[in-house]
Amino acid sequence: MRDYIIKRLFQMIPTIIVITLVVFAMMQAIPGDPIISLLGDAYDEEDAEKLRGEYGLNKPIYVQYFRWVSKLMRGDWGESILSGRSILNDVLIRLPVTIELIIVAMIVALIIAIPAGIIAAIRQNTWGDYTAMSTAMIGISIPDFFLGVLLLLLFSISMNGFLPSSGWVYLPGTCPSVVCEASWWGNFKHVVMPAIALGVGRAAILTRLLRASMLEIIRMEYVTTARAKGLGERLVILKHALKNALIPTVTIMGLQIGFLIGGAIVVETLFAIPGLGTYGINAIIARDYQQVQGFILLVAISFVVLNFLVDLVYSFLDPRIRYN
Amino acid sequence: MHRSGRFYIYISLALACLLAFTASIAVAAEAKRGGTLRVAYGNKIANLDFHTAPGYEMMWVAMNIGCGLVNITPDGQFVGDAAESWELSDDHLTWTFKLRDGVQFHDGTQVDAKAVKFSIDRLIDPETKSGMRGFYAAVKEVEAVDPLTVKVHLQQPYAFFLHMLAGYRTGLVLYSPEATAKYDVNDRKKGKAGAVVGCGPFKFVEWVPNDHLIMDRFEGYYQKGKPYLDRVHIRIIKDPVTQMAAFKAGEIDFIASFTPEHVGTVKAQNPGVQVMTGKETTPMVAPMKVTVPADGKQMSKERKPHAVFGDIKVRKAVACHGLNREEIVKIAFKGAATPWIGMNPPGTLDTVNVNGKCPYNPDKAKAMLKEAGYGPDNPLKFEVITDNEKAVFNIIATVIKDQMSRIGAQVNIKLVDKVTWMNTMLKDGEWDMYVEDLLSLLTLDSNAYLSVTTSSWNGARHTDTHVDDLYAKYAREMNPTKRAAVAKELQEYMVDKLYWNTVSGSPFYQIAQSSVKGYTFNAEFEVHFENVWLDK
Repeated sequence: MRDYIIKRLFQMIPTIIVITLVVFAMMQAIPGDPIISLLGDAYDEEDAEKLRGEYGLNKPIYVQYFRWVSKLMRGDWGESILSGRSILNDVLIRLPVTIELIIVAMIVALIIAIPAGIIAAIRQNTWGDYTAMSTAMIGISIPDFFLGVLLLLLFSISMNGFLPSSGWVYLPGTCPSVVCEASWWGNFKHVVMPAIALGVGRAAILTRLLRASMLEIIRMEYVTTARAKGLGERLVILKHALKNALIPTVTIMGLQIGFLIGGAIVVETLFAIPGLGTYGINAIIARDYQQVQGFILLVAISFVVLNFLVDLVYSFLDPRIRYN
Repeated sequence: MHRSGRFYIYISLALACLLAFTASIAVAAEAKRGGTLRVAYGNKIANLDFHTAPGYEMMWVAMNIGCGLVNITPDGQFVGDAAESWELSDDHLTWTFKLRDGVQFHDGTQVDAKAVKFSIDRLIDPETKSGMRGFYAAVKEVEAVDPLTVKVHLQQPYAFFLHMLAGYRTGLVLYSPEATAKYDVNDRKKGKAGAVVGCGPFKFVEWVPNDHLIMDRFEGYYQKGKPYLDRVHIRIIKDPVTQMAAFKAGEIDFIASFTPEHVGTVKAQNPGVQVMTGKETTPMVAPMKVTVPADGKQMSKERKPHAVFGDIKVRKAVACHGLNREEIVKIAFKGAATPWIGMNPPGTLDTVNVNGKCPYNPDKAKAMLKEAGYGPDNPLKFEVITDNEKAVFNIIATVIKDQMSRIGAQVNIKLVDKVTWMNTMLKDGEWDMYVEDLLSLLTLDSNAYLSVTTSSWNGARHTDTHVDDLYAKYAREMNPTKRAAVAKELQEYMVDKLYWNTVSGSPFYQIAQSSVKGYTFNAEFEVHFENVWLDK
């Protein structure tokens, strides 16, 4: 197991290096540069040329890339060209917000998907099954941002601010700036709508997947044996069938985290949440290369690490799986 | 009692009642001190170096943290800020400003003549790379005569010097020499504690990019008792639907720039809402590229006519007689804008209505295109590039496409993001026509920045130096009547040549809760909160 973990950790390095290369190349391919955003309505070609020189943006691309990577190796993620602020500091401030949003969205997804998937499987071809599958299809079809707008219209506008429309209240003890609110209840009220907007689509996918694998598992011989032993149906389904049926679901959950980060960009923008998503999208819009690279690098590392953790969860769910 | 005695008693009683009523109004209208004004911005604050950062959002922060020499009222009157009086010499070459005694920067240092000289010199210095630099071209030297007297010597008369100090982009924002020496430009850009020092009514507290900015009352502000607010809390909320939801829920008090297409909804949802707007000062434009590089190198000084719009007949056919501006305004702005072709939008100083020079006439447009060699077998084809910063740009591009089809022209719309559009336009890239709204114009003079031949923002890349001459003549003419005549000549010339193609004014809206009192709407030029108070 230890060897497996070490091997996987080493495998992450080339993955991350390739990601940095791809991101760097893609940013260079997009028209425009950060100096245009930096000068904005005060743009002057002469000033722009001077600034490109000052920031090293007129150097060959490979020089810019190696300069960035070498600084990265020394723990220096650079500074935003637009705001002059430390990128590492800014992404670390925003990361907990996005992680919380993603975790709560995943909890929302699981709360919906597990019961719906089980009911749809054990009551196959009944109204319960049809209802669960039809709802799942609707959930898959509705984009995050549209559901977010519907929730806003319902809970914020129509219900006179029953749930806050925007912003963020931090969990107690996590406030990253001088002026910010922190409370458990406030945090819950701020996270619930974005998490539902983000989680419903995932719930729909997981419901369909869980139903399919449950249908396969409950027809297997060991499940029949469990029933023959006289175990109660609830125990058979929840302990014997569900645990194995969850293995493909967990795999997809790991992959879904990538989609959740993508979805977080849209949902955070809609709800004006100060997370990594808004940080990334603003950096892309402004062509703030350093900032985009920092954002993508952190997302890539998170994605790779989370998938690694998902792999480790397999061994818990199915003791037959061993990584040697 | 004598009849006339009773009369006097009645009169006295009536006067007493009137006085009591007036007093009650005065008490009701008395500004309350305290509270936090929660403001929503629809766009980010780029950074906090007020002399170099772009964008209105930064400017609206700069106006409240910083102070300058003068401000301008909505009716165009100048009021003193750090300067209590000013005068222009008879030869129109020297401005003398008398500063108020006791005006302080937030770091406790005095706003004196040296600070004014330091700030203007800093803006003029090419190393600062300030977007305001071009506006100071007329300044020869700044002289600190004594601590409270500063003279600005000009190379030539400049009729809009006060306008420029008050309302061109940020206007003049005074910097504390001590604080500027103590911190570098990056410290100011990122809002490091102590580095962002102004002399305005609010002092900087904290900025988290793309999230919020906080500024608190500066107790040492020179206007005693002001500002009334304890704090201004600016939040960045980009999505207009979220802005509306936050406004409806009472989470924000003031939206600094609100999208025109949602004004009707916000009024319907919020009885008592204050919707503030005025005459349009921003032009919605659809310029055509006039020249392209002759040698294929972008920004080359060797120019040749643009393949399509290099021909004035085509420009006239398309933009003069082919565009139905009334229809564009009706569809894109639900009629809440002014159809306009003049370079100066309707709310700008010395504006002239030259719409009569370009009546909508599709038959004439078709005939002109035929004359230029286009017809059913060889239709005019061009591309309209626009960006997704505002939904209305794409709507206007779509209406233009439809209108062009009525005169036999084929249009392709290219929708890009703002930076891509800027990159294409500013760097002399390939485009035929673009749709955008540009800077708000306080005066026609401020538009020189966008349309003289030497400007980076001369997207059309026209090479007609007569335009430069007219701008220079306009800026130097000190007689208002003669100046208005030059303004008319310039605006008519621009329509005749169509180096610039305005479609309409671009309306600007600000939204406030009914509890927000004391705010004076002055378009994008002046967004000040020192007189604002909350009636809660």
